[in-house]
Amino acid sequence: MMQSNFKATRQGLLSKMGKGMAMMALAFTAMSQARAEETVKIGILHSLSGTMAISEVSLKDVVMMAVEELNAKGGINGKKIEPVIVDPASDWDLFAEKAKQLVLTDKVAVTFGCWTSVSRKSVLPVFENNNALLFYPVQYEGEECSNNVFYTGATPNQQLIPAAEYMMSKEGGEYKKFYLLGTDYVFPRTANKILRAFLLAKGVPAENIMEEYTPFHHQDYQTIVQKIKTFSAGGKTCVLSTINGDSNVPFYKEFANQGLTSAMCPIMAFSVAEDELRAMDTQYLIGHLAAWNYFQSVKAPSNSKFVKDFKEFAKKNNLPGGDKRVTDDPMEAAYISINIWAAAAAKAKSFEVDKVRKAAYGLKFQAPGGMVMMDERNNHLHKPVIIGEIKKDGQFKIVWKSKGLVAPEPWSIYTSPDKGCDHVDHTGTYTKK
Amino acid sequence: MKIFEALWQREKTALAFAFAAILLIPLANAMGWVSDLNLNLLGRYFCFALAALGIDLVWGYAGILTLCQALFFCLGGYCIGMHMLLKTGTNGVYGSALPDFMVWNQVKTLPWFWEPFHHFPIALFLALCVPVVFAMTFGYFAFRSRINGVYFSIITQALALAMWLIFLRNETMLGGTNGLTDFKTLLGFQLAHPAVKRTLFVITAVVLTSAYFGCRLLIASKLGKVLIAIRDSEQRLRFTGFPVARFKLFAFTLSALLAAVGGILYVPQTGIITPGRMDVKNSLEMVVWVALGGRGTLSGPILGAVGVSLCYSFLTGRFPGSWLYFLGALFVAVVLFMPQGLAGALQQLPFRKRANNRSSTDIGPAALAASMAGTSDIHDPSGDAQGTGADPLTTRNTTAGVTP
Amino acid sequence: MRRNFRTKFYLLNLFLWSAGCLSAPIHGQDSASAAKALPVSRAMVKPAPDSGASAAPVGTFNPAGNEIPVAALLDTLLKNPETRTQTIKALIPRADHNLQDFFQNLFKGNLYEYSPPAAKANPDAAQPKILVIAGPETDRDGENWVQLFKTYPMQALLDENGAPIYAKTADLTELETDREVRAMVQPLLLAFDLDNPDAKKRQSAALSLGESGDTLQLPLITAALEKEKDGKCKRLMQEASARIRLHSALPENRAAAAKALGDLHSGSALAELKILASTSGAGMESDEGARKEITRAVQTIEAYASYTSIVQNIFTGLSLGSILILMALGLAIIFGLMGVINMAHGEFMMIGAYATFIVQNLFHKYLPAPYFGYFLAVSLPIAFLTSGGIGVLVETTIIKRLYGRPLETLLATWGLSLLFVQSARSLFGDLTAVSSPELLSKGWEIFPQVVLPYNRIFIIFLTITIVSLVSLIFYRTPLGTLIRAVTQNRAMSRCLGIGTRKVDALTFGLGTGIAGIAGCALTQVGNVDPGMGQNYIVDSFMVVVTGGVGKLAGTVLSGIGIGTMNKFLEPFLQSVYAKVVLLAMVILFLQNKPSGLFPAKGRNEDL
Repeated sequence: MMQSNFKATRQGLLSKMGKGMAMMALAFTAMSQARAEETVKIGILHSLSGTMAISEVSLKDVVMMAVEELNAKGGINGKKIEPVIVDPASDWDLFAEKAKQLVLTDKVAVTFGCWTSVSRKSVLPVFENNNALLFYPVQYEGEECSNNVFYTGATPNQQLIPAAEYMMSKEGGEYKKFYLLGTDYVFPRTANKILRAFLLAKGVPAENIMEEYTPFHHQDYQTIVQKIKTFSAGGKTCVLSTINGDSNVPFYKEFANQGLTSAMCPIMAFSVAEDELRAMDTQYLIGHLAAWNYFQSVKAPSNSKFVKDFKEFAKKNNLPGGDKRVTDDPMEAAYISINIWAAAAAKAKSFEVDKVRKAAYGLKFQAPGGMVMMDERNNHLHKPVIIGEIKKDGQFKIVWKSKGLVAPEPWSIYTSPDKGCDHVDHTGTYTKK
Repeated sequence: MKIFEALWQREKTALAFAFAAILLIPLANAMGWVSDLNLNLLGRYFCFALAALGIDLVWGYAGILTLCQALFFCLGGYCIGMHMLLKTGTNGVYGSALPDFMVWNQVKTLPWFWEPFHHFPIALFLALCVPVVFAMTFGYFAFRSRINGVYFSIITQALALAMWLIFLRNETMLGGTNGLTDFKTLLGFQLAHPAVKRTLFVITAVVLTSAYFGCRLLIASKLGKVLIAIRDSEQRLRFTGFPVARFKLFAFTLSALLAAVGGILYVPQTGIITPGRMDVKNSLEMVVWVALGGRGTLSGPILGAVGVSLCYSFLTGRFPGSWLYFLGALFVAVVLFMPQGLAGALQQLPFRKRANNRSSTDIGPAALAASMAGTSDIHDPSGDAQGTGADPLTTRNTTAGVTP
Repeated sequence: MRRNFRTKFYLLNLFLWSAGCLSAPIHGQDSASAAKALPVSRAMVKPAPDSGASAAPVGTFNPAGNEIPVAALLDTLLKNPETRTQTIKALIPRADHNLQDFFQNLFKGNLYEYSPPAAKANPDAAQPKILVIAGPETDRDGENWVQLFKTYPMQALLDENGAPIYAKTADLTELETDREVRAMVQPLLLAFDLDNPDAKKRQSAALSLGESGDTLQLPLITAALEKEKDGKCKRLMQEASARIRLHSALPENRAAAAKALGDLHSGSALAELKILASTSGAGMESDEGARKEITRAVQTIEAYASYTSIVQNIFTGLSLGSILILMALGLAIIFGLMGVINMAHGEFMMIGAYATFIVQNLFHKYLPAPYFGYFLAVSLPIAFLTSGGIGVLVETTIIKRLYGRPLETLLATWGLSLLFVQSARSLFGDLTAVSSPELLSKGWEIFPQVVLPYNRIFIIFLTITIVSLVSLIFYRTPLGTLIRAVTQNRAMSRCLGIGTRKVDALTFGLGTGIAGIAGCALTQVGNVDPGMGQNYIVDSFMVVVTGGVGKLAGTVLSGIGIGTMNKFLEPFLQSVYAKVVLLAMVILFLQNKPSGLFPAKGRNEDL
């Protein structure tokens, strides 16, 4: 009986399988057909589901807002912008696949996307092999210098070093002991490597630096907070935190509930911005610090407009949160990204990658947080550095601001003093003489 | 030999399909009718299909639900990835002979366990061997202690979780979260070249076809019968004097091997391997492919793996904000309306009359028994042949309701 | 609050005054501010070193008034930007409580230059610029507005009609201060804080002063200590005083300080003491006798620390364990008893968490603030009902068709979990915050430095309650008997006339309802986002299986076991490796007990 049943199963199934495949293939070709010519396509490659959605959805929203603004002004070079949104679903392999789809099938002029380092590393070969353009809007670990990526987030020296310097300064509290706490992945690892090198160079003894990592989505911070407590008992201790995403809430809660306060042992965070604060009970967080290049509370007319526009955009499009939505550093960087690209394309009068890239060098843009400038050689942005203190309303009170713009250093002088990044006189990374 | 002849006659559709995959699609790609991107997608999904085939073997036939196949998949993938990364040599960002992430970690010399991966034959051998030995060791202890059913599933899940955490760490020298990336060549061929990609696709298709027919032969053999017997009543088989643990170990190891082969072929086509591929959810997803395709059918898992992956890829591109609704609804619908999975549903189509007639005679006794017992809870129409009775996850309570 | 604060200060200063510590009030504008205007200026007091614990601070203010008045000094701040730093330096010794607000706002950067609009009476005459303190910002029509205050003393600035003045922040110019100024002001603020009515402020001031090791501050602390009532503040001040005395020039003072620290079990001084106790190195104690005392203190403190850490580990283990139990309990019912592999279990927790979120928002919206703290009590049953209700719905539409086919339940619930996650994302977005009621924030300090957070104590008690309730239902009610009968033998139960359909739905609803309660409890320790369920599902399954499928007692024991084990491992290994070791232990445990802690008895094919 088994045998006879066997045969029937096989044949029916496989012929169906073939047909199914053919239909799928058809669907794919249909998708790949180019659309109308009077638009220029841009790709938006941010996770809208999965673990990273918590951070990346806002970036998609702000890019969409910028697209609307630019289209309202008549588009670029006479062409309206047509965004192609895909969802790489926090799946690193899918990031590469979607990048290929955007670059090869949809033939987008530029892509805005990625958040985690691993997603960027995953798509990097796609952009490099096909000479396509990616704008990456998040603060990152540096040590990368691709000609096909514009990095509009901070390099380590535009965020980490000023923050550590501030904590050591008289004004910041003259902290002597540093607890480096992070989620176990590349950015915190590199960040702490650079911070450690910096602190040691500044004469902090090695026993005054503690380093600890937790897995992604770690929820139970009881033991770590106790460790911090013991470590900070001698006083003059601060936490430099690169904890990512959903682990922040349990960490800050535990920190406060075990009786630690920002006055005794402040947390300087590098991955907590206004958007993340929306998910937190801010009563626990008052007085803790964060270092970024932009805060919603920056006082500038361009910023009030940006904040207002975004709230309106969120309300108009019925985005969750509505007009309670906030802006933060990565969102500003995403907003800068698309505007710099638009300005460069207009300057180049073309959407060709090489021309746009060349036009982007040295370009200035009146960003919400103030004037920023694209470096003339290395695809990174000159930005101000700001340190803010968390307030009850989930906003930051600015306590320190760099004088002028800080030039980007893709290769940190503390960990790779001999390396530099230059796409004009060199081909990307080079060794300094 | 008789078996071979019988299979040859019965597998015409499968052969036609294999012919299409091995020859027609690559040819169409060479002519420019199928884009490199789609060819690559299909190639990668065939790798998933290999892993799914392994799961079907161990779960669908031997009744052991493993939740760590993605781990074996990645072990194979990592081995071959390590080889390719070493071959990248000084072409990396740092221009060092060491892989980039090691320079970044300030490692001065290559860790000892990386050394063998300089040579392709050794790397390939290890890529097959490591997962197999791993599965064998783990399986040996687990089956020896008679860890069964859900207990086995959960310890494999715990294993997958533990290994995932270890691979995520930087100090294990496997690239941490970022995994291994930036591969340039394999055996001297440029991976980015279309012809190389096509070749990889053909190899994958050939491997998948042979794996499929291999499993087919295996299931038709006496060994296969024993596996099914384990699924249906392990206890009785043990009392009959069969060394059940050994058979289970064999099935488990074989499935690990299939997953590893999938991983080996997956990495050069994808260009990156990260611990994200081996997290607990991925192993579960693989099981879901098999469940959706129809377990215990061999062709179902292939259909499930390729189908679900294509859906996933298509929907995330087309409906970025709402694809989870489609996929979730698909799973629920399959359960409600296709109790035999996709493979079963395709059999029930009108023009498969003959098959229908046969299966209706098949369900006869089961349906009869059900109606006699007065329980409409038993919906599985295929009865024992497709295996409801001793599902590994059935607790004693539900089993007691079905088996006297 | 403000009034309270001032009265307190009045009394306090009166006390000091009568003790002869302070000189007479001077800036008598009205009676209230006269009392306030008692100069303190103690931060800058420079008493002789080791002047003894009873030495009282002596005011340096000269009542004869041959100094420039404070108001005039404040004026020069605006007029001469070049001498700003010197002016502030001159102001510091004059710091009385009228100036407290000025200094605090100076430190925070809330001082602005303000040009008042021309007066109506005389529109041509330009008004002089004045120095103002800006209140908190408010957003009006997209512009930031602040209320303006006078600097000395801080009072609302009023216009001609007596209405408070507001200004756009864009129209104000910030009084720029440099790091040097802020550094000068900081110890002053600490000194102010020692008298602050807020105990928290006093504590942190004491802590900072103790850390500074600045012997100049000793009399200040001693004075504060004398009038301190709050136990914790007192302890911290004693500690600070002892830590400062460790720097004393006299060895016997140092020995006494070390002894005091030992008696206080001062963890915060441990690092410092250890350096002093070392027999070599730069920071070692030179005096033999004092070093002996210091070594003894180190030993006392360390012994105490290891004792408290055990208490703490047990507590954290119990706390983690109770969370695990709460999460796994629903699963133990659904999976263990019914045989349904519920991959959407985590999502039912998420539903409970979002139910809590909605209740919280409703409380915010419709009820006055004092009732806000009760939202958690209300949301517990609501979370139970919502999750349980959706559970019943799912059971009657989907799961009931799948009994006896656990494989299909896996696939169906996996699909459901995707649907739930995406629905939550569309409805609420990815970021939502649930706050803790006042009652559950902070913690219970059982020993100095050992704080047991109330939210965790709450979860432990909640778990105990739920577990007792569930076992009551299962073993003491007719419903429980029915549930057990149906899950043991569905066909037989049916034959005996039990409505298995109904019982199944109720059991499933109970399981998912408990998941909802778990979700509600989790909002107090973790976050609420659509993917939160995924974080817990693996742990939940592990707990259920380690305990033995189908055994509630097993789930409870394995939950506590896994939790405590994890917490005792974590201090030695990093959290990642602690988890890895724990997983390895679970695997090894199941090797020895292949059916969990409490194997199911009886004829069983799976055994």
